[in-house]
Amino acid sequence: MKNSILIACFAMLPLAAQELKLPPNIEKLAAKAEEVVDVTMDGALLQLAARFLSDKDPDEARVKKLVAGLKGIYVKSFEFENKGEYQDSDLEPLRAQLHSPGWSRIVGVRSKKSGDNAEVYLKSENGGFSGLAIISAEPRELTIVQIIGPLQPEDLRDLGGRWGIPKIDLGRKPGKED
Amino acid sequence: MMDDFEKQLKDAFQRQDPSADFESRVLAAASREKQKPRRWLALWMPGHLRWAAALAMSLVLVAVVVRQREVHERAAGEAAKARLELALKITSTKLKKIQDQVNAGRQDE
Amino acid sequence: MERGPGSKAFAELVREHQSMVFSIACHFLRDRSLAEEIAQDVFLQLYRNLESLESEAHIACWLRRVTSNRCVDYVRKRQRRPETGLDDGPEPRSVEAAGDPLLNRKLRALVQSLPEKPRLVMILRYQEDLMPDEIARTLDMPVRTVKSILHRSLAMLREKMERSMGDPR
Repeated sequence: MKNSILIACFAMLPLAAQELKLPPNIEKLAAKAEEVVDVTMDGALLQLAARFLSDKDPDEARVKKLVAGLKGIYVKSFEFENKGEYQDSDLEPLRAQLHSPGWSRIVGVRSKKSGDNAEVYLKSENGGFSGLAIISAEPRELTIVQIIGPLQPEDLRDLGGRWGIPKIDLGRKPGKED
Repeated sequence: MMDDFEKQLKDAFQRQDPSADFESRVLAAASREKQKPRRWLALWMPGHLRWAAALAMSLVLVAVVVRQREVHERAAGEAAKARLELALKITSTKLKKIQDQVNAGRQDE
Repeated sequence: MERGPGSKAFAELVREHQSMVFSIACHFLRDRSLAEEIAQDVFLQLYRNLESLESEAHIACWLRRVTSNRCVDYVRKRQRRPETGLDDGPEPRSVEAAGDPLLNRKLRALVQSLPEKPRLVMILRYQEDLMPDEIARTLDMPVRTVKSILHRSLAMLREKMERSMGDPR
């Protein structure tokens, strides 16, 4: 089985200050995955990217606005050839961090039929949101997203349909669960 | 007539644009091509002009180095922009999927 | 400013065809900066050969052929003198109007794993929307061979995608 590992090659920048640490069991999945997507962007890298976003293009201007105050965006996605390459219990240390003060699970969806399990967490601070985390666990794919920094759900919603991004609706207050 | 899988391939292989300054770089290179035959004339310059030519060449080299640095910074910036776009698309795709699942669950109630 | 067939300036030709040339190289090599280097070489070659090209349609076909040949030549030179891997560096930026970006990456990665000629056939078919006879003319191959490559490559890709997506529910 060919492992193709794509790593964001920004080694010259200091290690990102991720709010949530991925447990060692999750990091080790890279060796088993057929494909890995690893996007690690701290504040400095986000600002570099934002410099190359056009103020004149309405789509890029919105992204620039979204990214302006963010401290980091971290995406890790593993795709496996076979089912069963990771266990739900591997995610417990991550979930434990998301039970810390400020974080609330706003959506949890589980499908016995497909085996998909997805959770969305928001971190609230000083009356606003300061973080978003998504755990999307499918039989052959595991994706973990963290966005750290001042964030409004409507900012993500407003991106929908632009720049190739699907439309979404995230207008939920912390503490409410489906 | 294409089936769904082939339509997915079409989506995946949409044309991309090169960097914003690609066109100007190509035209600059073509312009240099055009001027190539005249370079040999410099060998026949009188001595006093050769110093001026050498100075001009040094300035050109400095400009080239500065330009190279700009090119590298641009490449890094464009790469960062690409990663940002990918991260936001993955985030929104996952959120959309979750939203669809929630809505499907509500319809079943 | 040099003029091509039909009095079109070279600059206009670059503007009109840069996306096509760059994309063929980028999808083939999966390296953006390398694709730009190759695309620039292709346009310089166009500049040198403008006089000999007969029509707009001829230019487009010529550009596709030269780009394809340059890409294959590059890969063969690297195989003789390996330097850095094609997978080094970030995935090239892709503007996706619709669809799952992870799925699209997967499809591109699978096509990239094909040998050179089948990879080009797939890119010319699905990026450029060329029919088999046009692909055959571009790559100087028999039409029968192009059709066979398309058929086999699609079957292989479908199978790999189905395996990675899982069994039908």
